[in-house]
Amino acid sequence: MVQTTRATTRTELIINGCEAIAHACRLADIDFVTAYPIRPYDGVMEAIARMIANGDLDADYIVADSEHSQFEMAKHASAVGARAFVGSSGVGWLHAYEAIAVTAGLRLPVVAMVGNRALDDPGAFGVEHNDALSVRDLGWMLTWVDSAQEALDTVLIAYRVAEDHGVFLPCAVAVDGAFLTHSEHLVTIPAREQVERFVPRYNRGGFVLHPDNPITIAPQVDENWLMEIRKQSDEAMRRARGVIASAYAEFAPVFGRDLGNPFIEEYMTDDAEVVLVGQGTLSTPVKAGIRQLREGGQKVGFVRLKWLRPFPTEEMQTSLSRFRAVGVIDRDYSFGSPYSGGVLFNEIRSALYPTGGALAPPVIGFTCGLGGREVTLKDVREMSEILLRTGRGGKEQQATYWIGVRA
Amino acid sequence: MEQIKGVKTVPLNEYYMSGHRTCQGCEPALAMKLTAKAIGPRSIVLGATGCMYVANTSYYTTPWAIPWMHTQLGAAGSAALGTSAGLKALMRKGKLKEEHINVVAICGDGGGADMGVSAISATLTHPQYDSLIVMYDNESYANTDVQASGSTPWGAVTRFTPSGTVHRITQTRIKKNMVGMLAAGHPGCKYVATVCPSFAVDMMQKIRKAIAIGGPTFVHCLTPCPKGWGFAPDLSHEMGIAAVETGVWPLYEIEDGMVRFNGRSKTIAEGGKREPVGEYTRRQDRFAHFTAEDTAYFQGTIDEMWQNWLVPAVIPLSRAAQ
Amino acid sequence: MSANSVEVAYRGVRQTSLAKRISRGIVQSARKEGKLGFTFGRYGDSPERVGIPARQFAVIGSSETELQPFMTPYELDNNDVTVVLDDTLCRGTESWAWHGFQPVNRLTRPGGVLLVLSKMSPGELLGFIAQKGAEYNLAVVEGAANWSTLWKYNDDSDFRILGAIARVAPHLISLGSVEQVIVQDWKRGDKIDLARQSYDQVKVRPVGAGEGVKQALPVRSFPKLQEMKEALVVPAVPAGEPVAGGPYRAERNPNYRSHSARTNRPVVDFARCTRCSLCWLQCPDGAFNITPDGFYDIDFEYCNGCGICVAVCPVKGCMTMVPELQSLSPFDNGESRGISELSPFDKGGLRGI
Repeated sequence: MVQTTRATTRTELIINGCEAIAHACRLADIDFVTAYPIRPYDGVMEAIARMIANGDLDADYIVADSEHSQFEMAKHASAVGARAFVGSSGVGWLHAYEAIAVTAGLRLPVVAMVGNRALDDPGAFGVEHNDALSVRDLGWMLTWVDSAQEALDTVLIAYRVAEDHGVFLPCAVAVDGAFLTHSEHLVTIPAREQVERFVPRYNRGGFVLHPDNPITIAPQVDENWLMEIRKQSDEAMRRARGVIASAYAEFAPVFGRDLGNPFIEEYMTDDAEVVLVGQGTLSTPVKAGIRQLREGGQKVGFVRLKWLRPFPTEEMQTSLSRFRAVGVIDRDYSFGSPYSGGVLFNEIRSALYPTGGALAPPVIGFTCGLGGREVTLKDVREMSEILLRTGRGGKEQQATYWIGVRA
Repeated sequence: MEQIKGVKTVPLNEYYMSGHRTCQGCEPALAMKLTAKAIGPRSIVLGATGCMYVANTSYYTTPWAIPWMHTQLGAAGSAALGTSAGLKALMRKGKLKEEHINVVAICGDGGGADMGVSAISATLTHPQYDSLIVMYDNESYANTDVQASGSTPWGAVTRFTPSGTVHRITQTRIKKNMVGMLAAGHPGCKYVATVCPSFAVDMMQKIRKAIAIGGPTFVHCLTPCPKGWGFAPDLSHEMGIAAVETGVWPLYEIEDGMVRFNGRSKTIAEGGKREPVGEYTRRQDRFAHFTAEDTAYFQGTIDEMWQNWLVPAVIPLSRAAQ
Repeated sequence: MSANSVEVAYRGVRQTSLAKRISRGIVQSARKEGKLGFTFGRYGDSPERVGIPARQFAVIGSSETELQPFMTPYELDNNDVTVVLDDTLCRGTESWAWHGFQPVNRLTRPGGVLLVLSKMSPGELLGFIAQKGAEYNLAVVEGAANWSTLWKYNDDSDFRILGAIARVAPHLISLGSVEQVIVQDWKRGDKIDLARQSYDQVKVRPVGAGEGVKQALPVRSFPKLQEMKEALVVPAVPAGEPVAGGPYRAERNPNYRSHSARTNRPVVDFARCTRCSLCWLQCPDGAFNITPDGFYDIDFEYCNGCGICVAVCPVKGCMTMVPELQSLSPFDNGESRGISELSPFDKGGLRGI
């Protein structure tokens, strides 16, 4: 019998993003976890394994034979009412793609970590966001974090939102490879009793697979059924916006830390002429670069998107329509897309469309930092200068730029 | 659970009910019925994609009285393991009433012997999780209108292995020996068996043994398929008997490493008569293109299996001369 | 001008090749007259199951634009001709769940033709066919349902059906065109007489509105968005329970009944039955009920007529397969019956066997 530790006080540890998520899993008292190795996410599974071995967490831990099996197992454990955690990176995430798709269709509140990694070929360990972005249309909630602390906090929020009876959707927490997965930061670890207050026990209700609740789950359908089923998922995802918002609102009273706007973080935007927009850890060089630019009098701000699904359409419209130009930094690619831009670029352009005509700021796309390449202060300056020229009525040369390519 | 000794002690209750869109004479459907009878109501069934998913639950309806959940084609092993581990965690942590729930994953030969081998193999390496995987083997991807699988016998016509005017035989692969492979390769698995619904009592006995023995177990069920094999549906039962009597399908169980043959297969293993395989092949249109030489070749593979294998009909090895 | 269509009702797998050949033959014949056309199988029928009723359609028209409205429905209504390749389908068909038991002439247009391959006369067949709210014609080509497997096709009904269509629906295809297809495209000049004979011999009987068997039209009702459970959950079938003072009684899936797969039905002579239970045990469809006195009674809503029970019955003459339309109850709308009604021998034997 494994004894679980019930820490009653908050502590501070120096841990990496993977370990921060492992602590969130421990605090959320997950019941089931399954591991398969691939860089850079697998540190989370190593950390969870140690916690179980040391009696800090009581969960069944299965070493899987593949990512497909991993995600299938998590799905089935979730179906019988177990709180399940799973994760992967890069092509591993895509190896599980079938299971990932059905988890959303089944409306199972699995929480998964994506340790963002470039897709093969060629083999590369560095961060790119295309692995996680592959699930953006499936009914997975999808969020990017930019610190180890935020990784921990967001996993707690993810379980709370995913298991909400009005939602019942899986949630992927995307964590940039290397910069978060492999560097250690000071992280406040909440007390177990705080987490118990914030994340209620997973209750699958009438959908639980158990002999006392004889149901059939996921019978074959024909054309007479799927529209309604898809609409149910659509409505669940629409409801998730409100559930996320209330989770953030209730975070501060429980944990004593205010996480701010649930969906976006604004940095030096109050008087900004133009803003850069991005996700994940590129926030740190961008913030530093912006401070440098401001020393030279250039009024540039930054907006960090936290949740890509559900997409905060209104928040983004309200925020971005204030500026004279918007530059979207994509750590991903979408070859052949409109303007050959990245995924985020086209999502944001689309969100701004109804603000209409002259009021809508021009949106410039920057593909940057692929394959884990550093986003440097020089890159930030280059992007900002393009934006400022555009914002001041300069004729934009092109809608999208690749930044940092050896030309 | 009590052992089923004969037809008179077969439980009356059904848990896989009438009202499914399976073929006339569908032996996989009979395998579902017998499995459900044997495992009873305190069970969870996971069904991988295949005929027994699509035909049973089409469309948005179910014949199952016990909890049933779809799993992906290659995921029977993972479904069993994930379900079993989820239940175990919840019970250990006091979140769910402690009881033994039978976790049974069912897949076809396409899902099991091809795509799902890795996951099944993995599941059989976890002795602390109780589950049973039943692979119903109709020797093709019958649901998708009959294409060759790793479990299709040599020479059989399928949509992917037609008999043509230039190439009479395009199914040149040899049927995979799932049970032998799983038994030989998984010391943590206490029980594997072969069954056929034509031998219903034997099948139910083995299913009950498999769920009672503990740990992960595997049962391989030959299920004659009127659609894929090309015979009239009323011959389904007979076809299973012919498979056993010709020695094409040996009935045996391996319990804690001990091989035990059952019924007619026991007689055959002890040197009794095997019917010629022609009695089996000539009644199936998938073998209609067979020449006498083809039948003789097929017979040779069955003879080899019974006469030369290290463990006849189970382990396909023989000792080299020293 | 609008395109015309022909529906072919057949039994899954057993007559798939035949139905496809007929559908193609219609388009090929129309092509001889300069028309265009296409064929399709009803998508929901696939993957096909042995015996489960299925549909093919052939559409012909004089231009691409005429054909367009016919190209993406899953099934076509208002067919000029409905061809029925197994006369037991005249009872009606339940191909899928939730759609209910449907009259065979449901998709035949008013004034159209229901063309049945049968050894019975139109008048006899009308004893099984549901009423239709409009006049139409019932035509019979003499022949019996032929069964093939996926791997072996041995049938010549296609020649006879095409000849008959030329006769009953000359605005679709002419006999001359059919003959050209048989000789030029199919290289089966030896079969041309079959088409001619059926052209000459097809029996046609006008059917008045309301003539036929009273059969409740199926209620095709699907739950609305808010009525459907989320998370892809449907309730299980109740497990069944012991009948008061009797044995266990199975419940059955109410949303799909497999009876219309039946071409033959099993009948039991209970006087000979030893209650060995093998029929019950080996029935893949669980269609047997255990009676209070320990016999095994067939639920004909769920029996799909595979014949395994008869094959496994160890007592000579106890169980017999009987042609569905020649069994005691000519039109069986799915009600299960008690023993006395079930046993044909108690009522003076069977017709036709």
